[in-house]
Amino acid sequence: MSHSTTDTVSEVLARGRLGIPSVVFFVIAAAAPLTVVAGGATTGYAVTGVAGIPVAYLVVAAVLALFSVGFVAMSRRIVNAGAFYTYVTRGLGRPAGVGAAMVALVAYNAMQIGLYGGFGAVLATFLRDQYGLHVTWWVPALIGWAVVAVLGVLRIDLNGKVLAVMLVAECAVALVFDAVMVGHPAGGTVTFDTLAPSHILAAGIGAALVTAITGFVGFEGTVVFSEETRDPRRTVARATYIAVAATGLLYGLSAWAMSVATGPDRIVDAARTDGTDLIFNLVSPHLGSSIVTVGRVLFITSLFAALLSFHHTVARYLFALGRERVLPGVLGRTSRRTGAPKVGSILQSILAVVVLIAYATAGADPIVHLFFWVTVTGGLGVLILMTVTSAAVIGFFARIAHGEGWWLAFVAPLLATLTLTGFLAATLREFDILLGVDAHSPLRWLFPATYAIAALAGTAWALVLRATRPQVYDAIGLGADSATAPLRRTDSFRLPV
Amino acid sequence: MNPALGAADEHAASYVRSEPVPVPRPVPAGAASERTSRIADEFFFMCHDDRTGRPRLFDSSLAHGLAAGLLVELYYGGRITFERGHVRVKDIRPPQDWLQHLVLDRIAAEQQHTATRVWLAFLGSSAYEQVAQRMWQSGLVRPQQAGRFWRQRTLYVPTDINTAAWSSARLSQHLRNGRSLNGVDLALAGLALHTQLDTTLLDGASPAVRSHLRRLVEQSWPPLRDLLADLGSVVGGAVLSHRTS
Repeated sequence: MSHSTTDTVSEVLARGRLGIPSVVFFVIAAAAPLTVVAGGATTGYAVTGVAGIPVAYLVVAAVLALFSVGFVAMSRRIVNAGAFYTYVTRGLGRPAGVGAAMVALVAYNAMQIGLYGGFGAVLATFLRDQYGLHVTWWVPALIGWAVVAVLGVLRIDLNGKVLAVMLVAECAVALVFDAVMVGHPAGGTVTFDTLAPSHILAAGIGAALVTAITGFVGFEGTVVFSEETRDPRRTVARATYIAVAATGLLYGLSAWAMSVATGPDRIVDAARTDGTDLIFNLVSPHLGSSIVTVGRVLFITSLFAALLSFHHTVARYLFALGRERVLPGVLGRTSRRTGAPKVGSILQSILAVVVLIAYATAGADPIVHLFFWVTVTGGLGVLILMTVTSAAVIGFFARIAHGEGWWLAFVAPLLATLTLTGFLAATLREFDILLGVDAHSPLRWLFPATYAIAALAGTAWALVLRATRPQVYDAIGLGADSATAPLRRTDSFRLPV
Repeated sequence: MNPALGAADEHAASYVRSEPVPVPRPVPAGAASERTSRIADEFFFMCHDDRTGRPRLFDSSLAHGLAAGLLVELYYGGRITFERGHVRVKDIRPPQDWLQHLVLDRIAAEQQHTATRVWLAFLGSSAYEQVAQRMWQSGLVRPQQAGRFWRQRTLYVPTDINTAAWSSARLSQHLRNGRSLNGVDLALAGLALHTQLDTTLLDGASPAVRSHLRRLVEQSWPPLRDLLADLGSVVGGAVLSHRTS
């Protein structure tokens, strides 16, 4: 047999592989920085009444970097690495995995649907201010919904180059705004009050932390690309740290800059008065109107990019679960012509429009009741998932033979699990502050209870599958790879039962 | 479309599930089978409209399906086999067909790569053009420019509608009548099932027909099933990691 020294196969497959910048772009763009800066941070100040939002962003970035250490290391060793529930399945067993899958479905749906509130309200305001058009928020929200629904079924997401241009523009605008705000501090002095570490121990910090985590949701997407990168070992890890650091600094800086411009004691009141207009109102006296308009347009496009990105995330989760037959197999089918996970995409769109119609009928506030409440509930779900995933990383590395050091396989994931558990406890304790409702309001339990129900239902369903359809049970967590499960049972990693 | 399909539907209505269909024997390796089993060509026809040559299947699924078709040709020719996700070369005697020869040479020359998925991905990057070339040379299709401006692309239009429709019609009819399949048809059925082409193939058929298809494929030879499982994973993986570039 001839052994050639050439390696055409590797060369061909290396074409189109991603480097660090591409992965960072994809991930940060999906997290939509301007949505977080202009929407999440301002509404966070307004609803929670907590001034420590900037320091919360920085703390959360540090903790997410810690979380990423074990998460990225584990992602290289598993299939279907894009989904949190795979990690939980591998580390803590299949029942916990299906529980996590259901939590993830609720969480990403909440992120996506909540964003429609922001998109509708911000676009309606923009149309009124720029063109004198008076429309209620749900009109643009429904138009946005229709576009997302169509793009979802056609399997079109935003082109990498478009995303890159948008991302650079968003960051540039945010930085210019920050410079202007810091350059014009209230009372003439720049203060660092909102960055004081003492806020971490102050009341309401749980609410601030989950607001911050919500802003980072999407960063976990780096691992989806692990099979498509030039150097999976380094590219994904570095891209994740860069993405977390860059977004963390940008969010922290922008939230702080707003507090400088209003004065730290006035930031909460200002945010309550101006809402998502706050950052634009703060800079408009000092900047040309065109650049402020560009900022507003980019805010809207970033909301749309995030909407589309989370729509695809939900559709793909449903597809992976349909492939495994944990959910009905029809979800695992694709559109013949476009290859879109069609049924999952349609299902997500139906759910979204039902919620939109319900909010429109109830006359609820799109920013507070839909955008903020529902997306931070999504953020809470992702916080739960990250906490459990961190624990799963420890369980996974304890079970397999590996050459990783103690820091990576045990210490970092353990620290991340403990810190995230602390965040979770603080968040649940202060969920009333987060929602801005009375401490005895049933709503403070209603939102978190959704996750408890989803997790229990998922776990129970896994146990039913174990008893009735062992083949399906065996394939849990394999996603698209589930087709190989009946043939190569012993190939896969040793799973806890 | 094809009158045979209408007749098949009537049969499908009266279709009663009978005894498990006996597993067909493997096609013996030899010159005779090499001439007939151009499975990738037949799959190419199944994936395209028999009149216009427009694809019925999305790109990544089509490319990987054709790559798998080429690998099945070599497997049926006795040159390679599939074991637990890896391709193993059994016989490096060059096949008569130039494309099979090309693929086998590559696999034999680069044995540092054994994973079936790696080969599906590698062959998938060129399979479409190569299979179309082979079919053009045999006079089965002719290239035609379609679309305007930036959407211009080459379609391979079948030279004879009946030849083009034959594979789909035959397979569809056999499945709807609950018959067993020969080696070529079994491979085509497996490719259709794992590339999600089965919805077109069995359009309007009862769920029993689909489970018949599934059962036939599940009962086929282990190496074929092994290849098809990897095909299914690669196609599914492409859906999960898709980005518009």
